[in-house]
Amino acid sequence: MAKALKNKFALVGLGLLAGRYPDRSMRALQTEAARLAIEDAGLSVAQVDGAVDLRLAPGSGDIPSSTDAFPRVLGMPCRMFFQISRGGAAGIMGIVAASKFLEMGAANYVVLACGTKDWSRSRSARASGVTSLNMIEKAGYWGKPFGDLTAVSHHSFFAGRHMYEYGTTAEQLGQIAVASRQWAALNPLAQFRDRPLDIEEYLDSPLVVDPYRLLDMCVVSDGAMAVVMTTAERAADLAKPPVYVMGAGVGEAMERLWWEKANYTRLAVETAKDVAFREADIEIDDVDFAGLYDCFTGEVLFQIEDYGWCGKGEGGPFVADGRIGPKGTLPINTSGGLLSAYHLGELTHLAEAVTQLRHEAGPRQVPDARIGLVSGHGGELLSPGMCSTHASLVLGRA
Amino acid sequence: MTPSRPRPNIDEDNRPFWEAVQERRFVLMRCQECGRWYWPAAYCRHHRNAPFFGSLRWEPASGRGRVFVCNIHRRAFHPAFEVPYVFALIELEEGPMFGSNIIGCPVEDVRVGMPVEIAFTEVEDGVVLPLFRPSAPDPSGANVSTEGARA
Repeated sequence: MAKALKNKFALVGLGLLAGRYPDRSMRALQTEAARLAIEDAGLSVAQVDGAVDLRLAPGSGDIPSSTDAFPRVLGMPCRMFFQISRGGAAGIMGIVAASKFLEMGAANYVVLACGTKDWSRSRSARASGVTSLNMIEKAGYWGKPFGDLTAVSHHSFFAGRHMYEYGTTAEQLGQIAVASRQWAALNPLAQFRDRPLDIEEYLDSPLVVDPYRLLDMCVVSDGAMAVVMTTAERAADLAKPPVYVMGAGVGEAMERLWWEKANYTRLAVETAKDVAFREADIEIDDVDFAGLYDCFTGEVLFQIEDYGWCGKGEGGPFVADGRIGPKGTLPINTSGGLLSAYHLGELTHLAEAVTQLRHEAGPRQVPDARIGLVSGHGGELLSPGMCSTHASLVLGRA
Repeated sequence: MTPSRPRPNIDEDNRPFWEAVQERRFVLMRCQECGRWYWPAAYCRHHRNAPFFGSLRWEPASGRGRVFVCNIHRRAFHPAFEVPYVFALIELEEGPMFGSNIIGCPVEDVRVGMPVEIAFTEVEDGVVLPLFRPSAPDPSGANVSTEGARA
Protein backbone atom coordinates (compact mmCIF):
# COMPACT_ATOMS: atom_id res chain seq x y z
CA MET A 1 0.00 0.00 0.00
CA ALA A 2 1.32 3.47 -0.87
CA LYS A 3 2.31 5.51 2.12
CA ALA A 4 -0.02 8.42 2.76
CA LEU A 5 2.17 10.33 5.17
CA LYS A 6 5.67 8.98 5.48
CA ASN A 7 8.11 11.88 5.31
CA LYS A 8 5.86 13.83 2.93
CA PHE A 9 5.14 16.55 5.48
CA ALA A 10 7.19 18.22 8.15
CA LEU A 11 6.90 20.39 11.21
CA VAL A 12 9.07 23.41 10.54
CA GLY A 13 8.22 25.97 13.22
CA LEU A 14 7.55 25.78 16.94
CA GLY A 15 6.04 28.38 19.26
CA LEU A 16 5.64 27.56 22.94
CA LEU A 17 4.32 29.55 25.91
CA ALA A 18 3.98 27.62 29.12
CA GLY A 19 3.33 28.68 32.67
CA ARG A 20 1.04 31.34 34.11
CA TYR A 21 -0.52 34.11 32.07
CA PRO A 22 -3.38 35.47 34.16
CA ASP A 23 -3.43 38.76 32.23
CA ARG A 24 -3.61 37.30 28.74
CA SER A 25 -6.64 35.93 26.93
CA MET A 26 -6.55 32.46 25.47
CA ARG A 27 -6.91 34.04 22.04
CA ALA A 28 -3.88 36.25 22.64
CA LEU A 29 -1.84 33.30 23.88
CA GLN A 30 -2.73 31.28 20.79
CA THR A 31 -1.98 34.23 18.52
CA GLU A 32 1.39 34.83 20.14
CA ALA A 33 2.35 31.14 19.93
CA ALA A 34 1.39 31.17 16.24
CA ARG A 35 3.53 34.27 15.66
CA LEU A 36 6.48 32.62 17.40
CA ALA A 37 6.09 29.42 15.38
CA ILE A 38 5.97 31.29 12.07
CA GLU A 39 9.04 33.31 13.04
CA ASP A 40 10.85 30.16 14.19
CA ALA A 41 10.26 28.64 10.75
CA GLY A 42 11.78 31.69 9.09
CA LEU A 43 8.50 32.53 7.41
CA SER A 44 6.45 35.71 7.36
CA VAL A 45 2.83 35.80 8.49
CA ALA A 46 1.84 36.68 4.92
CA GLN A 47 3.16 33.31 3.69
CA VAL A 48 1.11 31.18 6.09
CA ASP A 49 -2.22 30.59 4.40
CA GLY A 50 -3.76 27.82 6.50
CA ALA A 51 -4.65 27.56 10.18
CA VAL A 52 -6.09 24.99 12.56
CA ASP A 53 -7.50 25.83 15.97
CA LEU A 54 -6.75 22.90 18.28
CA ARG A 55 -9.32 22.66 21.05
CA LEU A 56 -8.11 20.81 24.12
CA ALA A 57 -11.26 21.02 26.20
CA PRO A 58 -14.23 18.84 25.32
CA GLY A 59 -17.81 19.95 25.44
CA SER A 60 -19.32 23.36 25.43
CA GLY A 61 -17.12 24.93 28.06
CA ASP A 62 -16.44 28.59 28.34
CA ILE A 63 -14.14 28.84 25.36
CA PRO A 64 -15.35 30.99 22.49
CA SER A 65 -15.79 28.88 19.39
CA SER A 66 -16.99 31.14 16.64
CA THR A 67 -16.74 34.72 17.76
CA ASP A 68 -13.13 35.39 16.95
CA ALA A 69 -10.03 33.43 16.13
CA PHE A 70 -6.27 33.75 16.21
CA PRO A 71 -5.70 33.95 12.41
CA ARG A 72 -7.77 37.13 12.28
CA VAL A 73 -5.88 38.60 15.23
CA LEU A 74 -2.52 37.78 13.65
CA GLY A 75 -3.61 39.07 10.26
CA MET A 76 -3.02 35.80 8.45
CA PRO A 77 -4.20 35.66 4.84
CA CYS A 78 -5.93 32.34 5.51
CA ARG A 79 -7.25 30.26 2.66
CA MET A 80 -8.33 27.51 5.03
CA PHE A 81 -9.20 27.44 8.74
CA PHE A 82 -11.03 25.01 10.97
CA GLN A 83 -11.30 23.90 14.57
CA ILE A 84 -10.67 20.40 15.75
CA SER A 85 -11.51 19.10 19.20
CA ARG A 86 -10.62 15.70 20.52
CA GLY A 87 -9.37 16.49 24.01
CA GLY A 88 -5.72 15.52 24.33
CA ALA A 89 -5.66 14.03 20.86
CA ALA A 90 -6.63 17.18 18.94
CA GLY A 91 -3.07 17.99 17.88
CA ILE A 92 -2.36 14.66 16.22
CA MET A 93 -5.75 14.63 14.54
CA GLY A 94 -5.12 18.20 13.42
CA ILE A 95 -1.79 17.19 11.87
CA VAL A 96 -3.45 14.32 9.99
CA ALA A 97 -6.17 16.63 8.70
CA ALA A 98 -3.72 19.38 7.78
CA SER A 99 -1.66 16.90 5.74
CA LYS A 100 -4.61 16.35 3.47
CA PHE A 101 -5.19 20.08 2.95
CA LEU A 102 -1.50 20.52 2.14
CA GLU A 103 -1.62 17.59 -0.28
CA MET A 104 -4.62 19.10 -2.04
CA GLY A 105 -2.84 22.43 -2.35
CA ALA A 106 -5.49 24.14 -0.26
CA ALA A 107 -2.64 25.79 1.66
CA ASN A 108 1.15 25.96 1.43
CA TYR A 109 1.87 26.41 5.11
CA VAL A 110 -0.51 25.57 7.94
CA VAL A 111 -0.13 26.79 11.50
CA LEU A 112 -1.82 24.68 14.16
CA ALA A 113 -2.27 26.32 17.55
CA CYS A 114 -3.80 25.48 20.90
CA GLY A 115 -4.23 27.63 23.96
CA THR A 116 -5.40 27.12 27.49
CA LYS A 117 -6.15 29.14 30.59
CA ASP A 118 -6.63 26.18 32.89
CA TRP A 119 -4.29 27.50 35.58
CA SER A 120 -6.07 30.84 35.77
CA ARG A 121 -9.44 29.14 35.70
CA SER A 122 -8.39 26.82 38.52
CA ARG A 123 -7.52 29.87 40.66
CA SER A 124 -10.93 31.45 40.26
CA ALA A 125 -12.71 28.12 40.60
CA ARG A 126 -10.92 27.33 43.84
CA ALA A 127 -12.42 30.38 45.47
CA SER A 128 -15.92 29.08 44.73
CA GLY A 129 -15.18 25.51 45.84
CA VAL A 130 -16.47 24.24 42.49
CA THR A 131 -13.70 22.95 40.30
CA SER A 132 -12.73 20.96 37.26
CA LEU A 133 -15.29 19.24 35.04
CA ASN A 134 -18.04 21.08 36.81
CA MET A 135 -17.18 23.82 34.40
CA ILE A 136 -17.25 21.84 31.19
CA GLU A 137 -19.67 19.43 29.52
CA LYS A 138 -22.59 21.38 30.84
CA ALA A 139 -24.94 18.98 29.14
CA GLY A 140 -24.60 15.27 28.68
CA TYR A 141 -22.11 14.45 31.38
CA TRP A 142 -24.23 12.40 33.65
CA GLY A 143 -22.01 11.40 36.60
CA LYS A 144 -22.05 14.79 38.30
CA PRO A 145 -24.85 14.13 40.81
CA PHE A 146 -22.83 11.16 42.09
CA GLY A 147 -19.76 13.28 42.63
CA ASP A 148 -18.03 12.18 39.41
CA LEU A 149 -16.80 15.72 39.10
CA THR A 150 -13.27 15.61 37.78
CA ALA A 151 -11.02 13.65 35.49
CA VAL A 152 -9.54 11.93 38.54
CA SER A 153 -13.04 10.90 39.65
CA HIS A 154 -13.15 8.27 36.92
CA HIS A 155 -9.58 8.05 35.58
CA SER A 156 -8.65 6.54 38.94
CA PHE A 157 -10.73 3.54 37.84
CA PHE A 158 -7.97 2.71 35.38
CA ALA A 159 -5.37 2.50 38.15
CA GLY A 160 -7.74 0.76 40.54
CA ARG A 161 -8.57 -1.95 38.08
CA HIS A 162 -4.93 -2.43 37.03
CA MET A 163 -3.98 -2.80 40.69
CA TYR A 164 -6.77 -5.33 41.17
CA GLU A 165 -5.93 -7.42 38.10
CA TYR A 166 -2.13 -7.27 38.12
CA GLY A 167 -1.11 -6.33 41.64
CA THR A 168 0.34 -2.99 40.57
CA THR A 169 1.38 -0.93 43.60
CA ALA A 170 1.30 2.72 44.55
CA GLU A 171 5.07 2.67 44.76
CA GLN A 172 5.29 1.52 41.14
CA LEU A 173 3.00 4.33 39.98
CA GLY A 174 5.12 6.64 42.10
CA GLN A 175 8.21 5.72 40.08
CA ILE A 176 6.53 7.31 37.07
CA ALA A 177 5.90 10.53 39.00
CA VAL A 178 9.49 10.54 40.25
CA ALA A 179 10.96 9.97 36.78
CA SER A 180 8.84 12.80 35.34
CA ARG A 181 10.07 15.11 38.08
CA GLN A 182 13.68 14.17 37.38
CA TRP A 183 13.21 15.10 33.72
CA ALA A 184 11.42 18.32 34.73
CA ALA A 185 14.49 19.40 36.69
CA LEU A 186 16.29 19.59 33.33
CA ASN A 187 13.59 21.70 31.62
CA PRO A 188 13.61 25.47 32.25
CA LEU A 189 9.92 25.68 31.23
CA ALA A 190 8.74 23.01 33.66
CA GLN A 191 6.45 24.22 36.43
CA PHE A 192 8.09 21.78 38.88
CA ARG A 193 11.69 22.23 37.73
CA ASP A 194 12.77 23.32 41.22
CA ARG A 195 10.80 20.74 43.19
CA PRO A 196 12.70 17.46 43.44
CA LEU A 197 10.62 14.44 44.33
CA ASP A 198 11.51 11.09 45.82
CA ILE A 199 9.37 8.04 46.36
CA GLU A 200 8.87 8.75 50.08
CA GLU A 201 7.45 12.19 49.35
CA TYR A 202 5.23 10.67 46.67
CA LEU A 203 3.86 8.09 49.11
CA ASP A 204 3.31 10.82 51.70
CA SER A 205 1.31 12.99 49.31
CA PRO A 206 -2.40 13.06 50.14
CA LEU A 207 -4.86 10.63 48.59
CA VAL A 208 -7.18 12.76 46.48
CA VAL A 209 -9.30 10.08 44.87
CA ASP A 210 -7.93 6.84 46.29
CA PRO A 211 -5.96 5.06 44.74
CA TYR A 212 -4.66 8.30 43.20
CA ARG A 213 -2.56 10.67 45.27
CA LEU A 214 -1.98 14.31 44.53
CA LEU A 215 1.31 13.42 42.86
CA ASP A 216 -0.33 10.96 40.46
CA MET A 217 -2.11 13.90 38.87
CA CYS A 218 -0.96 16.28 36.16
CA VAL A 219 -0.41 19.99 36.53
CA VAL A 220 -2.67 22.68 35.11
CA SER A 221 -1.19 25.48 33.05
CA ASP A 222 -1.80 28.62 31.11
CA GLY A 223 -0.13 28.69 27.77
CA ALA A 224 -0.19 27.97 24.11
CA MET A 225 1.67 25.91 21.56
CA ALA A 226 1.82 26.25 17.82
CA VAL A 227 3.55 24.38 15.03
CA VAL A 228 3.91 25.26 11.37
CA MET A 229 3.48 22.35 8.99
CA THR A 230 4.27 22.17 5.31
CA THR A 231 5.27 19.76 2.57
CA ALA A 232 8.69 18.10 2.65
CA GLU A 233 9.73 20.04 -0.47
CA ARG A 234 8.94 23.41 1.09
CA ALA A 235 10.42 22.34 4.42
CA ALA A 236 13.86 21.91 2.91
CA ASP A 237 14.42 25.67 2.51
CA LEU A 238 13.42 26.88 5.95
CA ALA A 239 15.29 28.05 9.03
CA LYS A 240 15.23 24.90 11.17
CA PRO A 241 15.90 21.23 10.41
CA PRO A 242 12.57 19.71 9.37
CA VAL A 243 10.87 17.27 11.73
CA TYR A 244 9.17 14.79 9.43
CA VAL A 245 5.80 13.20 10.02
CA MET A 246 6.68 9.53 9.59
CA GLY A 247 3.34 8.07 10.57
CA ALA A 248 0.14 8.69 12.49
CA GLY A 249 -2.76 6.61 13.64
CA VAL A 250 -5.78 6.73 15.89
CA GLY A 251 -7.63 4.15 17.92
CA GLU A 252 -10.95 4.21 19.73
CA ALA A 253 -11.95 2.47 22.93
CA MET A 254 -15.29 2.13 21.16
CA GLU A 255 -13.67 -0.50 18.98
CA ARG A 256 -13.96 -2.73 22.02
CA LEU A 257 -17.03 -0.83 23.19
CA TRP A 258 -16.60 1.32 26.19
CA TRP A 259 -18.35 -0.88 28.69
CA GLU A 260 -16.20 -3.88 27.96
CA LYS A 261 -13.90 -4.82 30.77
CA ALA A 262 -10.66 -4.83 28.78
CA ASN A 263 -10.97 -1.07 28.43
CA TYR A 264 -10.11 -0.51 32.08
CA THR A 265 -6.59 -1.89 31.89
CA ARG A 266 -5.57 -0.71 28.42
CA LEU A 267 -5.91 2.31 26.19
CA ALA A 268 -6.92 2.15 22.54
CA VAL A 269 -3.29 1.90 21.47
CA GLU A 270 -3.39 -1.21 19.31
CA THR A 271 -5.01 0.21 16.18
CA ALA A 272 -3.34 3.60 16.53
CA LYS A 273 0.08 2.03 16.84
CA ASP A 274 -0.46 -0.48 14.02
CA VAL A 275 -1.39 2.24 11.54
CA ALA A 276 1.26 4.73 12.67
CA PHE A 277 4.12 2.23 12.87
CA ARG A 278 3.22 0.57 9.57
CA GLU A 279 3.17 3.96 7.89
CA ALA A 280 6.53 4.84 9.46
CA ASP A 281 8.04 1.39 8.81
CA ILE A 282 9.27 1.06 12.38
CA GLU A 283 9.14 -1.33 15.30
CA ILE A 284 8.91 -0.33 18.93
CA ASP A 285 12.67 -0.72 19.45
CA ASP A 286 13.30 1.91 16.75
CA VAL A 287 11.74 4.59 18.99
CA ASP A 288 14.50 6.66 20.61
CA PHE A 289 12.21 8.53 23.00
CA ALA A 290 8.49 8.88 23.65
CA GLY A 291 6.06 11.46 24.96
CA LEU A 292 3.22 9.37 26.36
CA TYR A 293 0.07 11.18 27.39
CA ASP A 294 0.28 11.45 31.16
CA CYS A 295 -2.78 13.10 32.63
CA PHE A 296 -2.20 10.56 35.43
CA THR A 297 0.58 8.12 36.23
CA GLY A 298 -1.59 5.13 35.30
CA GLU A 299 -1.90 6.18 31.65
CA VAL A 300 1.88 6.03 31.28
CA LEU A 301 2.00 2.55 32.77
CA PHE A 302 -0.77 1.34 30.46
CA GLN A 303 0.92 2.73 27.36
CA ILE A 304 4.30 1.20 28.23
CA GLU A 305 2.47 -2.13 28.14
CA ASP A 306 0.16 -1.33 25.24
CA TYR A 307 2.99 -0.20 22.94
CA GLY A 308 4.83 -3.41 23.75
CA TRP A 309 7.87 -2.32 25.75
CA CYS A 310 6.66 -5.01 28.17
CA GLY A 311 3.72 -7.36 28.50
CA LYS A 312 0.27 -6.48 29.85
CA GLY A 313 0.43 -6.34 33.62
CA GLU A 314 4.24 -6.08 33.69
CA GLY A 315 4.42 -2.28 33.64
CA GLY A 316 4.79 -1.89 37.39
CA PRO A 317 8.03 -3.89 37.73
CA PHE A 318 9.20 -2.46 34.37
CA VAL A 319 9.26 1.16 35.62
CA ALA A 320 10.40 0.31 39.15
CA ASP A 321 14.13 0.60 38.54
CA GLY A 322 14.18 4.15 37.16
CA ARG A 323 14.19 2.84 33.61
CA ILE A 324 12.18 5.74 32.17
CA GLY A 325 14.05 8.51 34.00
CA PRO A 326 17.09 10.53 32.88
CA LYS A 327 19.46 7.79 34.06
CA GLY A 328 17.42 4.98 32.56
CA THR A 329 17.48 3.24 29.21
CA LEU A 330 14.02 4.23 27.90
CA PRO A 331 13.56 8.03 27.85
CA ILE A 332 9.85 8.74 28.39
CA ASN A 333 8.33 12.18 28.88
CA THR A 334 11.66 13.97 28.76
CA SER A 335 10.08 17.41 29.22
CA GLY A 336 8.66 16.37 32.58
CA GLY A 337 5.36 15.85 30.80
CA LEU A 338 1.91 16.80 31.99
CA LEU A 339 2.81 15.41 35.41
CA SER A 340 5.65 17.82 36.14
CA ALA A 341 6.21 20.30 33.28
CA TYR A 342 3.10 21.91 31.79
CA HIS A 343 -0.27 20.80 30.45
CA LEU A 344 -1.09 21.64 26.86
CA GLY A 345 -2.62 18.26 26.13
CA GLU A 346 -0.45 16.15 23.86
CA LEU A 347 1.03 19.39 22.49
CA THR A 348 3.27 19.27 25.58
CA HIS A 349 4.80 16.11 24.15
CA LEU A 350 4.71 17.35 20.57
CA ALA A 351 6.70 20.46 21.50
CA GLU A 352 9.24 18.28 23.30
CA ALA A 353 9.52 15.86 20.37
CA VAL A 354 10.25 18.71 17.96
CA THR A 355 12.85 20.07 20.38
CA GLN A 356 14.50 16.66 20.85
CA LEU A 357 14.57 15.90 17.12
CA ARG A 358 16.18 19.29 16.45
CA HIS A 359 18.75 18.34 19.09
CA GLU A 360 17.92 21.53 20.98
CA ALA A 361 16.94 19.93 24.31
CA GLY A 362 20.08 20.95 26.21
CA PRO A 363 20.79 18.95 29.38
CA ARG A 364 17.86 16.60 28.74
CA GLN A 365 18.77 15.88 25.12
CA VAL A 366 18.42 12.22 24.21
CA PRO A 367 21.73 11.47 22.44
CA ASP A 368 21.38 11.22 18.67
CA ALA A 369 17.55 11.19 18.87
CA ARG A 370 16.22 10.29 15.43
CA ILE A 371 12.74 8.87 15.96
CA GLY A 372 10.24 10.07 18.54
CA LEU A 373 6.77 8.86 19.46
CA VAL A 374 4.02 11.20 20.69
CA SER A 375 0.69 9.94 21.99
CA GLY A 376 -2.62 11.64 22.58
CA HIS A 377 -5.54 10.65 24.77
CA GLY A 378 -8.95 12.24 24.84
CA GLY A 379 -12.48 12.29 23.61
CA GLU A 380 -15.80 11.48 25.16
CA LEU A 381 -16.17 11.59 28.88
CA LEU A 382 -18.73 8.90 29.25
CA SER A 383 -19.59 7.79 32.69
CA PRO A 384 -18.18 5.22 33.26
CA GLY A 385 -15.49 7.74 32.44
CA MET A 386 -13.49 6.96 29.41
CA CYS A 387 -11.27 9.00 27.22
CA SER A 388 -11.99 6.92 24.18
CA THR A 389 -9.43 8.17 21.67
CA HIS A 390 -5.80 7.23 21.48
CA ALA A 391 -3.59 8.86 18.87
CA SER A 392 -0.05 7.94 17.85
CA LEU A 393 2.37 10.17 15.98
CA VAL A 394 5.81 9.09 14.83
CA LEU A 395 8.23 11.91 14.07
CA GLY A 396 11.75 11.73 12.70
CA ARG A 397 14.70 13.80 11.57
CA ALA A 398 16.61 13.29 8.36
CA MET B 1 -27.10 27.32 53.31
CA THR B 2 -25.56 24.18 51.81
CA PRO B 3 -25.16 24.53 48.07
CA SER B 4 -27.08 22.11 45.89
CA ARG B 5 -25.28 19.22 44.29
CA PRO B 6 -25.28 19.13 40.48
CA ARG B 7 -28.54 17.83 39.06
CA PRO B 8 -28.66 14.96 36.59
CA ASN B 9 -28.48 16.13 32.99
CA ILE B 10 -31.90 14.97 31.88
CA ASP B 11 -32.62 14.99 28.17
CA GLU B 12 -34.96 13.39 25.67
CA ASP B 13 -33.03 10.12 25.74
CA ASN B 14 -32.78 9.48 29.46
CA ARG B 15 -35.92 11.18 30.81
CA PRO B 16 -37.84 7.90 31.35
CA PHE B 17 -34.95 6.60 33.45
CA TRP B 18 -34.94 9.62 35.75
CA GLU B 19 -38.71 9.74 36.00
CA ALA B 20 -38.67 6.11 37.17
CA VAL B 21 -35.92 6.91 39.69
CA GLN B 22 -38.07 9.62 41.22
CA GLU B 23 -40.68 6.85 41.75
CA ARG B 24 -37.95 4.59 43.17
CA ARG B 25 -38.01 2.23 40.25
CA PHE B 26 -34.79 1.12 38.53
CA VAL B 27 -35.24 0.66 34.79
CA LEU B 28 -32.86 -0.11 31.96
CA MET B 29 -33.37 -0.21 28.23
CA ARG B 30 -34.14 -3.69 26.94
CA CYS B 31 -34.23 -4.92 23.38
CA GLN B 32 -37.68 -6.31 22.58
CA GLU B 33 -36.24 -8.53 19.89
CA CYS B 34 -33.34 -10.29 21.64
CA GLY B 35 -33.76 -9.36 25.32
CA ARG B 36 -30.36 -7.69 25.78
CA TRP B 37 -30.13 -4.83 28.27
CA TYR B 38 -28.58 -1.42 27.72
CA TRP B 39 -27.52 1.55 29.78
CA PRO B 40 -27.30 4.39 28.87
CA ALA B 41 -29.81 4.56 26.04
CA ALA B 42 -28.57 2.74 22.96
CA TYR B 43 -29.67 1.02 19.82
CA CYS B 44 -29.34 -2.74 20.04
CA ARG B 45 -26.06 -3.68 18.42
CA HIS B 46 -27.00 -7.26 17.55
CA HIS B 47 -29.46 -6.75 14.69
CA ARG B 48 -31.33 -4.14 12.66
CA ASN B 49 -33.19 -1.53 14.69
CA ALA B 50 -36.59 0.07 14.28
CA PRO B 51 -36.39 3.89 13.87
CA PHE B 52 -34.87 5.75 16.80
CA PHE B 53 -34.99 3.50 19.88
CA GLY B 54 -38.01 1.65 18.51
CA SER B 55 -36.64 -1.83 19.17
CA LEU B 56 -36.10 -1.12 22.86
CA ARG B 57 -38.20 -0.28 25.90
CA TRP B 58 -37.45 0.82 29.43
CA GLU B 59 -38.10 -2.20 31.66
CA PRO B 60 -37.70 -2.87 35.38
CA ALA B 61 -34.26 -4.27 36.20
CA SER B 62 -33.00 -6.14 39.25
CA GLY B 63 -31.07 -3.27 40.78
CA ARG B 64 -28.39 -5.81 41.72
CA GLY B 65 -24.81 -6.11 40.64
CA ARG B 66 -21.19 -6.31 41.72
CA VAL B 67 -18.57 -3.64 42.18
CA PHE B 68 -16.31 -3.74 39.11
CA VAL B 69 -13.98 -1.00 40.31
CA CYS B 70 -14.25 1.73 42.92
CA ASN B 71 -12.46 4.71 44.36
CA ILE B 72 -12.64 6.80 47.50
CA HIS B 73 -13.03 10.54 47.04
CA ARG B 74 -11.10 12.12 49.89
CA ARG B 75 -11.25 15.65 48.57
CA ALA B 76 -14.40 17.53 47.64
CA PHE B 77 -14.53 19.17 44.24
CA HIS B 78 -17.89 20.73 44.96
CA PRO B 79 -19.18 22.10 48.29
CA ALA B 80 -22.34 19.95 48.21
CA PHE B 81 -20.36 16.73 48.62
CA GLU B 82 -19.17 15.40 51.97
CA VAL B 83 -16.00 13.35 51.86
CA PRO B 84 -15.10 10.59 51.98
CA TYR B 85 -17.44 8.98 49.49
CA VAL B 86 -17.15 6.02 47.15
CA PHE B 87 -17.77 6.33 43.43
CA ALA B 88 -17.93 2.94 41.77
CA LEU B 89 -18.62 1.20 38.52
CA ILE B 90 -21.17 -1.47 39.13
CA GLU B 91 -21.53 -4.39 36.76
CA LEU B 92 -25.26 -4.93 36.85
CA GLU B 93 -26.72 -8.43 36.78
CA GLU B 94 -28.25 -7.56 33.42
CA GLY B 95 -24.81 -6.74 32.00
CA PRO B 96 -24.41 -2.97 31.67
CA MET B 97 -21.96 -0.97 33.77
CA PHE B 98 -23.50 1.70 35.98
CA GLY B 99 -21.64 4.46 37.79
CA SER B 100 -22.92 5.37 41.24
CA ASN B 101 -22.03 5.80 44.90
CA ILE B 102 -21.81 2.93 47.37
CA ILE B 103 -23.37 3.89 50.69
CA GLY B 104 -24.30 2.03 53.85
CA CYS B 105 -20.85 0.81 54.85
CA PRO B 106 -17.47 2.34 55.73
CA VAL B 107 -15.74 3.54 52.55
CA GLU B 108 -12.75 1.27 53.19
CA ASP B 109 -15.03 -1.80 53.16
CA VAL B 110 -16.03 -1.45 49.51
CA ARG B 111 -14.21 -4.07 47.44
CA VAL B 112 -14.05 -5.17 43.82
CA GLY B 113 -16.50 -8.02 43.41
CA MET B 114 -18.69 -6.99 46.32
CA PRO B 115 -22.42 -7.66 45.68
CA VAL B 116 -24.46 -4.47 45.84
CA GLU B 117 -28.08 -3.48 45.38
CA ILE B 118 -30.02 -0.35 44.60
CA ALA B 119 -30.62 2.09 47.45
CA PHE B 120 -32.78 4.95 46.24
CA THR B 121 -31.76 7.91 48.28
CA GLU B 122 -33.25 11.37 48.59
CA VAL B 123 -29.98 13.31 48.67
CA GLU B 124 -31.68 16.68 48.82
CA ASP B 125 -35.29 17.66 49.09
CA GLY B 126 -37.05 16.22 46.07
CA VAL B 127 -33.89 14.78 44.49
CA VAL B 128 -33.80 10.97 44.51
CA LEU B 129 -30.70 9.26 43.16
CA PRO B 130 -30.06 5.58 42.35
CA LEU B 131 -27.28 4.87 44.85
CA PHE B 132 -26.10 1.38 45.80
CA ARG B 133 -25.31 -0.38 49.09
CA PRO B 134 -23.87 -3.76 50.05
CA SER B 135 -26.40 -6.51 49.37
CA ALA B 136 -28.22 -8.11 52.24
CA PRO B 137 -26.93 -11.64 52.97
CA ASP B 138 -29.88 -13.44 51.34
CA PRO B 139 -28.64 -13.89 47.76
CA SER B 140 -32.18 -14.11 46.41
CA GLY B 141 -32.77 -10.59 47.64
CA ALA B 142 -36.31 -11.62 48.61
CA ASN B 143 -36.30 -9.90 51.98
CA VAL B 144 -34.46 -6.81 50.87
CA SER B 145 -36.29 -3.56 50.80
CA THR B 146 -35.45 -1.20 48.00
CA GLU B 147 -36.37 1.76 50.17
CA GLY B 148 -33.12 3.60 50.69
CA ALA B 149 -32.20 5.45 53.81
CA ARG B 150 -31.87 9.21 53.63
CA ALA B 151 -28.18 9.99 53.19
